[in-house]
Amino acid sequence: MPKITINDQIYEAEKGKTVIQVADELGIQIPRYCYHPDIGIEGSCRMCLVEVKGAPKLMPSCATPIADNMEVRTNTERVQQAVRYAMEFLLLHHPIDCPVCDQSGECWLQDYYMSVAGHESRYPLGGKTRRRKAFDLGPLVKLDQERCILCTRCVRFTRNVTHTNEIQVFNRGHNSEIGIFKDRPLDNAYSGNVVDVCPVGALTNSDFRFKVRVWFLKGTDSVCGGCSTGCNMRVDHSARATGGGVPGYTASDGQVYRTVGRRNVDVNKSWLCDEGRLSFHTMERWPRLQVAAGRIEPTATQDLLMTIHETFRSLDGAIAGLGSATNTNEALFLMKKYFTGRVDFRLSKEVETYQERQDDLLRRLDKHPNTRGAIDLGLAGDLGGLKGLREKAEKKEIRGMWISFHPQLVGEDPPEVIENLRALVNALEFSVVSTTHEFEWARRASVLLPMAGWSEETGTYTNYAGRVQMTRQAVAASGSAEPLHALMATLLRLSGLSGMDGPAKPSAIFDAMAAEVPAYSGLDYETIGLLGAAPQEAAR
Amino acid sequence: MTPVKGGYAVDVPVVNVSEMARRDHATVWTTLKGFSVTLRHLFQSLFNGDTPTIHYPEQTRQHSERFRGTHILTVRDDGSLKCVACYMCATICPAECIYIEAAQHPNPEIEKFPKRFDIDMMRCIYCGFCVDACPEEAIIMSREHHQAAYGRAETIYNIEKLMARPGIDAKGPGYRPNRELAEAKIYDKEKQTACPYPSVVEERHPAVLYESMIRKRQ
Ligand code: SF4
Ligand code: SF4
Ligand code: SF4
Ligand code: SF4
Ligand code: FES
Repeated sequence: MPKITINDQIYEAEKGKTVIQVADELGIQIPRYCYHPDIGIEGSCRMCLVEVKGAPKLMPSCATPIADNMEVRTNTERVQQAVRYAMEFLLLHHPIDCPVCDQSGECWLQDYYMSVAGHESRYPLGGKTRRRKAFDLGPLVKLDQERCILCTRCVRFTRNVTHTNEIQVFNRGHNSEIGIFKDRPLDNAYSGNVVDVCPVGALTNSDFRFKVRVWFLKGTDSVCGGCSTGCNMRVDHSARATGGGVPGYTASDGQVYRTVGRRNVDVNKSWLCDEGRLSFHTMERWPRLQVAAGRIEPTATQDLLMTIHETFRSLDGAIAGLGSATNTNEALFLMKKYFTGRVDFRLSKEVETYQERQDDLLRRLDKHPNTRGAIDLGLAGDLGGLKGLREKAEKKEIRGMWISFHPQLVGEDPPEVIENLRALVNALEFSVVSTTHEFEWARRASVLLPMAGWSEETGTYTNYAGRVQMTRQAVAASGSAEPLHALMATLLRLSGLSGMDGPAKPSAIFDAMAAEVPAYSGLDYETIGLLGAAPQEAAR
Repeated sequence: MTPVKGGYAVDVPVVNVSEMARRDHATVWTTLKGFSVTLRHLFQSLFNGDTPTIHYPEQTRQHSERFRGTHILTVRDDGSLKCVACYMCATICPAECIYIEAAQHPNPEIEKFPKRFDIDMMRCIYCGFCVDACPEEAIIMSREHHQAAYGRAETIYNIEKLMARPGIDAKGPGYRPNRELAEAKIYDKEKQTACPYPSVVEERHPAVLYESMIRKRQ
């Protein structure tokens, strides 16, 4: 392994890497605009200059491969001066309209101006070049040419990642600008990522634009629930779930404002598909189910669960559960326990499609995040999925059921699924439906229970490849909704079936699951961490 | 002795009261001297009309031009709202009483405007930080301080009320950062015909945008 000296410290580094990559791994800060680990190297912004012993000029660290016995300095007076000049050029014609710029607060120009530049502008204020502001590149992305620093990250994204080449640099020299061809809007399935890669406020997200200033947001590291790929994302939501002030006037309620890609080289690099990026809107698509309802007199959830448990017991064994592949492993595990294995989750073709790609980047055909997890728990048994359960219910082989339904976060649930669910509820003698929204087909259920949905509960999903990843609670569930694992834990406690008597903590449930299910042996929330745990081949 | 106040050393003269009384011979004579002051004020107010009290509410006091009363949202020369919905005021506000909802302005040069701007006047502590934070001089304060209302909801002022309310500038504006610069313009219903702020461009609910995108790609 080559040895490389950075700022008088000797490190060992892997061959073939560039200086900036080595510095990133070591936590040495080098400013950069055009370098992004997932889109190819350009070397145009000149922010990452470093001094290399023996080289007459400063070298761009993003484009300089390391060599044995290389001596690099990142903090000399010469480097600092060069970076200051680079910043001065970048800001020469910059409008600096930060108060109305949506990037303000997470803008790399602001950050690097404060940390490495801090110069006084030598350019007259009125003499700045004006360019086109705020126009649509596509349905999701708006461009402000004045704020662009021509780092070409967006260009390289459409060239190297999506291979669609919508965004280009037009004209030359001082007249260069980012744009699209007249008849080719930026309308690919991954267009939102260019907003994430743009280091400044030139590209903004039409969906998120002006909704909130970013410094009011809090990020929670989570996983997309849109399909079986399980892309890592950060959910940005208002920081105060319950705040001071007059509700609706001055307090900000717990609300998801946007999601952005979170880097995980093994799953999604830094990307998200547009449907997944916007899938949090699904939670506001229909009215939420706020309180328990149904044919049984509504009472407190605890008493209700007692009644449910007693009714299930009186049906002596003719009971079953139907989970959802958008429920967490923890919830499905407890459900399987309560119904002693008589649980299914297949609504239509999840098992056949969960590994099939929809395109060659991220998306998969199965629009559920946890199909693999449900299969690993052994829920694809001989109950025959939703169709089979419906037939059994119509033949009165099954008389009581708990149906947990979480709508698909991306796209629509197929109409035949809704039809089967309606028929199932009608055929059952006693049906408990725990769901997130008010659905018309569920009206005739004996008991309707509000259930926390994606981004409102903590738990694990297992993605198509068997990688176990954590989805974390970002906002409070609406109304009196509770996560399914909490409802199931209460039922189990009432039945005396398990030693589940403490509070239903997802991590404790996972530990119990790891002890029983071979696919998860040896795992816990700590080893899963932010990036998930790779499948354990030995256990499979 | 230098007592320490708020971290800064300040020189405060120390007064020893009993020492002073002995020095000034506190006797009957000084008592009479005190009464004479009282009597002088009595006669002055009886015959010269030199009274510090006023007949409120027929008469009102003239406040300083730095008075921090209820806020005013100022306007541009054409009468449109000056605020660009940057949230600087809402960010600095220690009472968290400013609520803003921003929208896209039809003019891309302006870009942003508040489609909703509420100040909860009962929560406000009249510190004036919002006025200092505003990069546009779009929010200033008035010399108004009457807060009588028939209900809690009335004390939450919206854009219309913050821009134009009866008597808003009868006494001239109050606290504002740049008194040397051109006077901040206050909306005048009689003189100005231009639309005070753009009617909100019809907005699609984000979920609608999302649904149309899915449909297109399926
Ligand atoms: S891109 Fe950055 S520096 Fe430029 S106006 Fe926006 S926030 Fe300010
Ligand atoms: S729009 Fe953004 S990402 Fe694209 S070149 Fe300009 S600054 Fe870079
Ligand atoms: S005066 Fe102070 S408390 Fe009142 S709105 Fe302004 S910043 Fe907030
Ligand atoms: S009043 Fe001023 S500080 Fe407040 S949002 Fe408007 S422009 Fe920004
Ligand atoms: S990051 Fe190296 S030149 Fe831009």
